[in-house]
Amino acid sequence: MTRYRIQTPLGRAVGLGSAKSGFGHWWTERITAIALVLPAIWFAASLIAHTGTDYETFIHWLAKPINTVMMVLLLVTLFWHAALGLQVVIEDYVHSVAKIWALIVMRFACFALAAVGIIATLRIALGA
Amino acid sequence: MPRTNAFIVRASDQVPKHPLLKRFPVPRNFGVTPGSRIERGRTWAAPAGAVRTKAFEIYRYDPDGDDNPRLDTFEVDLDACGPMVLDVLIWIKNNVDPTLTFRRSCREGICGSCAMNIDGTNWLACTRYIEETGAPAQIYPLANMRIIKDLVPDLTHVLAQYEMIEPWLQTTTPAPDRERLQAPEDRAKLDGYYECILCFCCTSGCPSHWWNGDRFLGPAALLQAWRWLTDSRDEAAGERLDLLEDPFRLYRCHTILNCTRTCPKGLNPGKAIAEIKKMIVDRQS
Ligand code: SF4
Ligand code: SF4
Ligand code: FES
Repeated sequence: MTRYRIQTPLGRAVGLGSAKSGFGHWWTERITAIALVLPAIWFAASLIAHTGTDYETFIHWLAKPINTVMMVLLLVTLFWHAALGLQVVIEDYVHSVAKIWALIVMRFACFALAAVGIIATLRIALGA
Repeated sequence: MPRTNAFIVRASDQVPKHPLLKRFPVPRNFGVTPGSRIERGRTWAAPAGAVRTKAFEIYRYDPDGDDNPRLDTFEVDLDACGPMVLDVLIWIKNNVDPTLTFRRSCREGICGSCAMNIDGTNWLACTRYIEETGAPAQIYPLANMRIIKDLVPDLTHVLAQYEMIEPWLQTTTPAPDRERLQAPEDRAKLDGYYECILCFCCTSGCPSHWWNGDRFLGPAALLQAWRWLTDSRDEAAGERLDLLEDPFRLYRCHTILNCTRTCPKGLNPGKAIAEIKKMIVDRQS
């Protein structure tokens, strides 16, 4: 679908002008990626180490402060990074009013998943 | 040509270790509106008596007519024309079909007019040897541009994007009475950028520019923006960065590096864009 509009080429190229932002998003995406490295390795290693353990042992292990902290850090950075990355994907490929809705739903889903994960971890840690 | 194992593409003469498919494996004309589907055109036989011939499939389109774009096949007499793809086009225009339309001027890779898609990659017709092309060789206009006729794309928008980055020296200090001085080291910082001939091979090959070309400036304009940002004589770096810092204008580049792979001058627009992003980091922290 092409909308024809009488506009100078420069006017079309300038559009709404520069947002004068974008650095924060780009930089945070990189920082969260680096921040993910350690928790991700920890998580993968722990999963492998616990392949044979039963539910009780695993819960007991997760309730240890160090593991609880790592788990919460992992959830925060993971979903933060995911939200930033998915925003880029949506902005790349969605070109209609659906874009705003897709961004809202995506953000909400990332926040919700992080919240669910963190609350579950804390409940285990606090023995609730 | 240096063969590389490196993941990063630094120049267009690097041959990929794992050559990709010549074209993405979907059927031709897949998802294309009926009026834009490319059809088989006619075949033009080689002139009688030609000994060495080679087939060239060339995209033809006249938006003023009612016909769809078509792919004509020309049997070219290699002994009658020069060694470059541009020579083939000129030979066809002079001897076979004078309506074949394309741009060219310098025929030595310096004006940027003859950029087109040759065998799936963008290059200058005047610097591509015929012997480097496949059989049959396929020639299309630059992708993702409105077609004016045959191999002539409409560059209005990409040139407007170039104009937008204000590609001229900007100073507040009154102009000196003599030439503006520049240290040799500072002059060297322009190497690899000042050589850009604005052929737009890179912008036409950039997937981010395909999806968001209305707002993303594209590699050609961004490489030029960097050429002025890194010029020690320019005093407008701050305003230039303000103009660029935008989720779409600059940050739509996802370092896919198609631009660097295709640049017929061997430049590295992907690096220029990374340098702009680094300069913005320097400004913020
Ligand atoms: S960077 Fe290379 S491909 Fe892009 S416009 Fe300049 S010369 Fe052409
Ligand atoms: S590196 Fe950036 S500008 Fe170059 S092709 Fe990729 S997205 Fe486009
Ligand atoms: S004719 Fe000038 S670059 Fe090819």
